[in-house]
Amino acid sequence: MSDREGTLTALKPASLKEAREAVLDTAGRISVAGAGTAADWAGRLGPVDAVFDTTGLSGVITHNPGDMTVSVHAGTPLRALQEELAKHGQHLSFDAARVADGATVGGLVATADAGPSALVHGTLRDLVIGATTLLADGAVVRSGGHVIKNVAGFDLAKLLHGSYGTLGALVEVVLRLHPVPKAVGTVVVECDLAEAARLGREVLASQLEPTAVEWLSSGRLLVRIDSTDEALPARLERLTRLLGDGAAVAEADVWGEHAALTRGTEGAAVLRIGVKPSVLPGVLEGLPAAAATAGLGTGVATVSVPGTAVAEAHAAVHAAGGTSVLRSRPADLDAPAWGPPPSALAVLKAVKQRFDPDGRFGPGRYDPWEIS
Amino acid sequence: MALDPVARAAIVAALGPDDVVDDPVQTRAYECDGLTGYRVRPEIVLIPRDAEAVARAVKACHRNGVPFVARGAGTGLSGGALPVADGVVISLARLKRVLEVDPENRRAVVEPGVTNLEITAAVAAHGLYYAPDPSSQQVCTIGGNVAENSGGAHCLKYGFTTNHVLSMEVVLPDGELVTLGGDSPEQQGPDLRGVFLGSEGTLGITTKITVRLLRTPETVRTLLADFPSVAEAGEVVSDIVAAGIVPAAVEMMDTLAIEAAEEAVHAGYTVGVPAALVVELDGPIEQCDAEFTQVKEICDAHGCTRLHIAGSPEERAAIWRGRKAAFAAVGRISPDYFVQDGVVPRTRLAEVLGRIADMGDEAGLRVANVFHAGDGNLHPLVLYSAAAGETERAEELSGAIAELCVELGGSLSGEHGIGTDKACSMPKMYGEEDLAVMQRVRDAFDPEGICNPGKVLPTPRLCGERPGKYRPHPLEESGVIERL
Repeated sequence: MSDREGTLTALKPASLKEAREAVLDTAGRISVAGAGTAADWAGRLGPVDAVFDTTGLSGVITHNPGDMTVSVHAGTPLRALQEELAKHGQHLSFDAARVADGATVGGLVATADAGPSALVHGTLRDLVIGATTLLADGAVVRSGGHVIKNVAGFDLAKLLHGSYGTLGALVEVVLRLHPVPKAVGTVVVECDLAEAARLGREVLASQLEPTAVEWLSSGRLLVRIDSTDEALPARLERLTRLLGDGAAVAEADVWGEHAALTRGTEGAAVLRIGVKPSVLPGVLEGLPAAAATAGLGTGVATVSVPGTAVAEAHAAVHAAGGTSVLRSRPADLDAPAWGPPPSALAVLKAVKQRFDPDGRFGPGRYDPWEIS
Repeated sequence: MALDPVARAAIVAALGPDDVVDDPVQTRAYECDGLTGYRVRPEIVLIPRDAEAVARAVKACHRNGVPFVARGAGTGLSGGALPVADGVVISLARLKRVLEVDPENRRAVVEPGVTNLEITAAVAAHGLYYAPDPSSQQVCTIGGNVAENSGGAHCLKYGFTTNHVLSMEVVLPDGELVTLGGDSPEQQGPDLRGVFLGSEGTLGITTKITVRLLRTPETVRTLLADFPSVAEAGEVVSDIVAAGIVPAAVEMMDTLAIEAAEEAVHAGYTVGVPAALVVELDGPIEQCDAEFTQVKEICDAHGCTRLHIAGSPEERAAIWRGRKAAFAAVGRISPDYFVQDGVVPRTRLAEVLGRIADMGDEAGLRVANVFHAGDGNLHPLVLYSAAAGETERAEELSGAIAELCVELGGSLSGEHGIGTDKACSMPKMYGEEDLAVMQRVRDAFDPEGICNPGKVLPTPRLCGERPGKYRPHPLEESGVIERL
């Protein structure tokens, strides 16, 4: 995209009104961009005439701590939001690696990103309770609301989750919050994937309620407990006992390594895959992965593979019943971003057709599926 | 305008006569769901035996332009399964197999006619359970739960149906069988699963559901606490939240609701107190105990007049029996009632209850309150006597309460759905443009508009008509279900 910057119209609205006008006043194709932390994820962006930059739409709109909800402008970096919420002992229970890189709330929703605590708290589709979305024809739609329990109308934020800027631009997002855990601890076991899978099964079958169970390709299993000051030591002790002789409570922050491995290896193609947890170890063993993090309870893994192995990896994941999408990759890599299309591809195309009939938003993001 | 005979023949032929009900006496059994004020007799009821037969039935309807409505157990409270005149009802009653229990991956694959509680029964031996627990869980089906995105008392901590369904096999309105969602939370494109969930049967028919299961918590602690006012009880909830505790459930009842429940089931509630709270915590024992002590202290600090801690599973069950009986029990203190399902931001509970009381006084009607205090989901019960000619006033008050919730920043419905009942109130909550875009979603799935038409989104035809008076659902009269 950078080599085309001279010919691109830059749209950087600072309000919903400006956003709507910008989209209405711009002819042609538009890419929606946040902080740019996932600019090359999914299908490679096709030629566009303008970039709709959401970072001017930033900041908290309303936060009533007693209700544990917050509404924010979609271009707000989640990191900044978390700092703000922390003053009230609250946070969004979400820990994707790229939050630390400045990723925006809207960008995280649009790319369906998630971190290790998705095991308990789900992904953003589980935490977004309302949204205001701008469509390519200037229509502005509010859906959901400001209360956590709400079944009125279609939940359009779900459609935007994982839409990679192809259906509309998120302008405002309402989020469900949780209390920041008062004490957090992680137990580490040095082990290979097979052993980690065995231990993971035991932990998940126990009543110890881990928040995250992740294996790292550096040969470590990490199991995190979110708790209180009073209860954490006992819970960690029980967990350590369950995990056996090699297990120990981590002294320092061990999750930085997880985030680094998730970002991927320099020069490699980073694939995000999701399968049934029980088949995950087998699928990973079959991939030529230079680096990997594996959610043993969620079945979601992020792997760095050589660019030449991408097509084969998609096929292997698909054969195991799972899904896969390409994230970061070398700029010159010509590899399919997605595996075989879902059975509901016709519905996806129909939604795209109704939301963006001229195919203005995010061309190419779903290639090779050709949704518009 | 009757059903065209050629279309009728094609639809009957899709399943064969054994799986078709078209005798007018028998089809009358399908004329309403749990919202009994609305009744429409369907022309034909189809009772397919498997997903492929559902697809054939839908395909036949689609080809002939005949509207169809899916139906589970018929316990819905918003008229979501109300038939269409001259249309078809597709009953999922025969799709009731638990297809797979997978303890290792903590999930189960079930057909839509399986009841909510049957899932937990099928997996309990593995120490697992299905978390969403609508009060009608003994009879309501998982297919209906998917359509309504059902909640329950424990959804404050554990979330709603949408948070516990990994994927569904659905028959689209053109008869195509597809899968939405996948084996993991990773998505392959926009979350079509998520938009389908809670669409109240307007985007297709679910034929297979893969649900997430949770490990049963190590311990559960439950208390029942009386307070001198609803406001004090509300402050307890606020303080629990402020302490960083996420209870499994927090329920509140007012004087009238307590009186009715106690009269019905004698669960040990204190008759005459202004407010009672049920608070439940669960989880690993060390943490649950420490937090439970904190909750007790918070109750004491707010003038709790009686604190009853469940000392056994039986005592816990009794507390919940009282809470869950409250709805049906209101029938004991009033000949008729309307139930509402509005939601307000939790911090506005005291305010909304005060205003509901004032509105009740003004209308000269009593309102009993039973609600999920943790998430602000109210269930005001407007008591009235049809015989005394109070129906219209009660209906107006009930509608005004739902719209008050929206005005206070909440929602028309927390868990019962919009259906037929509240479709005409939707413009109070959403603007024209919002509703128009929701219609685009519907058109994308169902361009012909034959899949459960007239629900969720307002139409001039629908909104020109008035609902009828409340009549109890047969299952309700027999005490099998309750209105919650």
